Amino acid sequence: MTMVVTSATPSRVERIVNRVIGVSRRSVVASIGVVILSAFALIAIFGPALVGVDPVHPYLDAILAPPSGRFWFGTDGNGMDVFSRVIYGTRFAFGIALPAVAVSLLIGVPIGLVCGYIGGTIDEITMRVMDAVRIFPTIILALAVVAAAGPSLINVVLVIGILDAPVFVRVVRAEVLALRSSTLVESAVAAGNPTWRILFVHLLPNAIQGATAQVAVRAAWAVRISATLAFLGVGIQPPTPEWGAMIRQGAELMSGGQWWVAVFPGCALILLVFGFNLLGDGLQDILDPRRKVSAR
Amino acid sequence: MSGSSFLRFLLRRVFLTLPLLLGVVFVTFMLVRIGGHDPVALLAGPTATGPQIEAITRELGLDQPLWKQFALYLAHLLQGDIGQSWVSGRPVLQEIGDRLPITAELLFWGIGFGALIGIPVGLRAAKDHGSLFDHVSRVVSLLGFSIPTYWLGLAALLIFFYLLGWAPPGMGRISLMAIPPPRITGSYLIDGLLTLNWEAARSAFAQLVLPVVCIAIVAAAPIIKQTRAIALEVWSSDYVRYAQASGLNSGMLRKLVLRNSLVPVTTFIGTEVTGLIGTTSLIEYVFAWGGVGQYGLNAIIQGDFSVVQGYVLTLALFSVIVFLIVDIAVMWLEPRAAMR
Amino acid sequence: MSLLQVDNLHTHFVTRDRDNQVRTATALNGVSFALADGEVLGLVGETGAGKSLTATSIMGLLRPPARIVEGRISFGGRTLTDMPPDELNALRGNEIAIVVQSPKTSLDPLMRIGDQIVRVIQAHRRMERTEAYQRALKMLAAVGIPDPERRAQALPHELSGGMAQRVLIAMALINEPRLLVADEPTTGLDVTVQAQILDMLRRLVSEMGMASLVITHDLGIVAHYCDRVAVMFAGRIVEIGPTAAVFGNPAHPYTRALIGSAPENFSLAAGRPGRGEPPNLYALPPGCHYVDRCPLADSRCAQMPPLVSVSAGHEALCHKATVTTHG
Repeated sequence: MTMVVTSATPSRVERIVNRVIGVSRRSVVASIGVVILSAFALIAIFGPALVGVDPVHPYLDAILAPPSGRFWFGTDGNGMDVFSRVIYGTRFAFGIALPAVAVSLLIGVPIGLVCGYIGGTIDEITMRVMDAVRIFPTIILALAVVAAAGPSLINVVLVIGILDAPVFVRVVRAEVLALRSSTLVESAVAAGNPTWRILFVHLLPNAIQGATAQVAVRAAWAVRISATLAFLGVGIQPPTPEWGAMIRQGAELMSGGQWWVAVFPGCALILLVFGFNLLGDGLQDILDPRRKVSAR
Repeated sequence: MSGSSFLRFLLRRVFLTLPLLLGVVFVTFMLVRIGGHDPVALLAGPTATGPQIEAITRELGLDQPLWKQFALYLAHLLQGDIGQSWVSGRPVLQEIGDRLPITAELLFWGIGFGALIGIPVGLRAAKDHGSLFDHVSRVVSLLGFSIPTYWLGLAALLIFFYLLGWAPPGMGRISLMAIPPPRITGSYLIDGLLTLNWEAARSAFAQLVLPVVCIAIVAAAPIIKQTRAIALEVWSSDYVRYAQASGLNSGMLRKLVLRNSLVPVTTFIGTEVTGLIGTTSLIEYVFAWGGVGQYGLNAIIQGDFSVVQGYVLTLALFSVIVFLIVDIAVMWLEPRAAMR
Repeated sequence: MSLLQVDNLHTHFVTRDRDNQVRTATALNGVSFALADGEVLGLVGETGAGKSLTATSIMGLLRPPARIVEGRISFGGRTLTDMPPDELNALRGNEIAIVVQSPKTSLDPLMRIGDQIVRVIQAHRRMERTEAYQRALKMLAAVGIPDPERRAQALPHELSGGMAQRVLIAMALINEPRLLVADEPTTGLDVTVQAQILDMLRRLVSEMGMASLVITHDLGIVAHYCDRVAVMFAGRIVEIGPTAAVFGNPAHPYTRALIGSAPENFSLAAGRPGRGEPPNLYALPPGCHYVDRCPLADSRCAQMPPLVSVSAGHEALCHKATVTTHG
């Protein structure tokens, strides 16, 4: 496959095109993920304005209407337009997932840096605590805590963020352990840098590399869990147009054949999570020296 | 590993997990008190009078200092008393115990089929690295990571029950018209077969198909991915290279890779079990399966805190046992582990 | 007719970088030599010269992005370079065998070594397991492993480095190959063990009448065990000939630098003979590859150097090589 754009002296445009092709060749998977995510991001930002239908407006004359020219995705049990709700739901999906991942990073990265660099008792205790948390299914844990603390948006974001933090702790800690005895760190120590400076100025930029791929994967997970919580009735409540809550509404209707209420938000959910997963998987391929070649 | 050192290892592991379990017990003890829930109010109901509330408070020992309450709780626990479900009034231990084999059945078949699909696909993807099969299986695996389990269950019911009429309605483990077999193992399918109750066994089987398939699909995704990664490492190892240099044919090479991948793959599946319990619980919820998963989920949602405590403890105990088994298996099967 | 004939072998690594540009590392640039039945040829050079790659190319074990882009390899009259993979596989471990550098990691970690040798036998012959096992035991004894019946039950990680290397040699020789490729067979082993293994290897090779290609960076090994030697640099053979002739009368500046730079232990593991950097395989100089480090370089070196016949069977790739009337 020759996809090389060349000329005697490549113009700026040609160079940029080649760079894009070159990078996306490294992982087709990640590139597709980026495309999907960009599409969703655009929908989240511009969708509601373009749709023009109020997602919580009940069309009492068209309750549980199947998909038609008027209602592309049909209407739900309250007469609300499913299509519009799915579009608005995009904002909620991003609105929960991104802050949740941010929380995970804010908690996980510093802890990972400290544990990896300082080690000792702090490290031991942190590792034990994280191991202890690991014996529970995340969903159950999230469910239990949110149910106990109350189904608000903030709680959901916080709980998901905290539960996902251990992943970043582990990743960053591993990187720091590897870098701890490197010349970079040794020279920084020799130059008399205070510990906090070594951690955040010298180690952080290097250690964060491994975490990058995980950001996408954790975002995928955050979207999933928040929808699961809403599906179980804990978390976002209707009539807020959140996909999990919509699936919950539609669940009872499935066996009656009114599939559109649950299927469309489900598809949107799958696609968004899929986009994040593609990106994460592709990034792992690029950033990890996993360029293995098999036998022929 | 010699017998005595193995025993020492086992004891050491058990000893180390005790503080862990204690911590879990403490957390579950405190769980009810998060968010300001009042256990008394939950038990007493909204119409309780002052003296009634006081009586209940004394009965539950909630007027005692916290550490005394915890000690009491621990004492009850060790006697096998986890309290009573305020929904059903029956002792939690018994309710959970009744439902354990039900969930175990789903878990077993689900993970079993997940591995049965996932491992060969992962192996082939690694062997034919870069081929169409590899790319397709990778996309499929990522898709499996992306589909919410409950939605899969709902969609399966829609397609196979409502539209095609092949599957029975997702209402429990056996058709309402069949007579469940006497309880020997707790599995309707096995018990039905054991007691030659073909009607029950057939119905139990029909009810099992969809939930098991849903769990298997979700379980297969990470198995495919990890098996592929492990097998790729094995394929690029020195000893596979040398086996190729010795002229071993492709069949022998595949067997070689399989054998050397099996242990890491099995340990990985062991670590996945925890997550799959969550998945199974959700499937139970969708299919009204009546196992521990559905029981626990409902309890959490309804705030039936004794049940929640029992459920969480059961999960913890189960996971700890699974991890222990995995570690033991590794020690036993990996001769090189002794060297590292 | 020679047993192994390599003609003008070019092996390249082709990749694409971040800017979507094709990058080619020319690792082998026209390697040519011949090996006769029963002959022992040493292949020396610094790291990156292409020694192991030559062996891998011959055995057909190249993995992407490495490819043979030009050239022909023939073995016993058959052309290896356009042989279907199944046929090639039937030759490996059978008529052409290889012994590699890291024995402990090259053995199947989960299978007893006796069974592993049996597996190699059964890959190429129809033989009953018991008979094959007996053969394996005999071979283990022949390579100097004491108490073979017990050792054959061992797993690779239970063996010492030297023991594992002997096992590897046993595996390579078990099907009585016509050509044995030994790629750094004793690197990493104790010095005393090295000598033992090399002596054993030489004895078996001559007993079984096989040809041998010994790849090493240790000139001492070549001097002691090889009939002929080929010196490699940047993917080319720059000098080839009888060991005594090449070491006694090195004609190529690089060979001279090699020998001069390692007087005591004749080993190239440590330094880089001659001044300068290792050659950049992505951008080799058009004519002679050694031009940047060569003390005798002049303007003619910008062209492909000629193959000069220094004496009988002794050739060097340098226009400054002097012809001698007797070696």
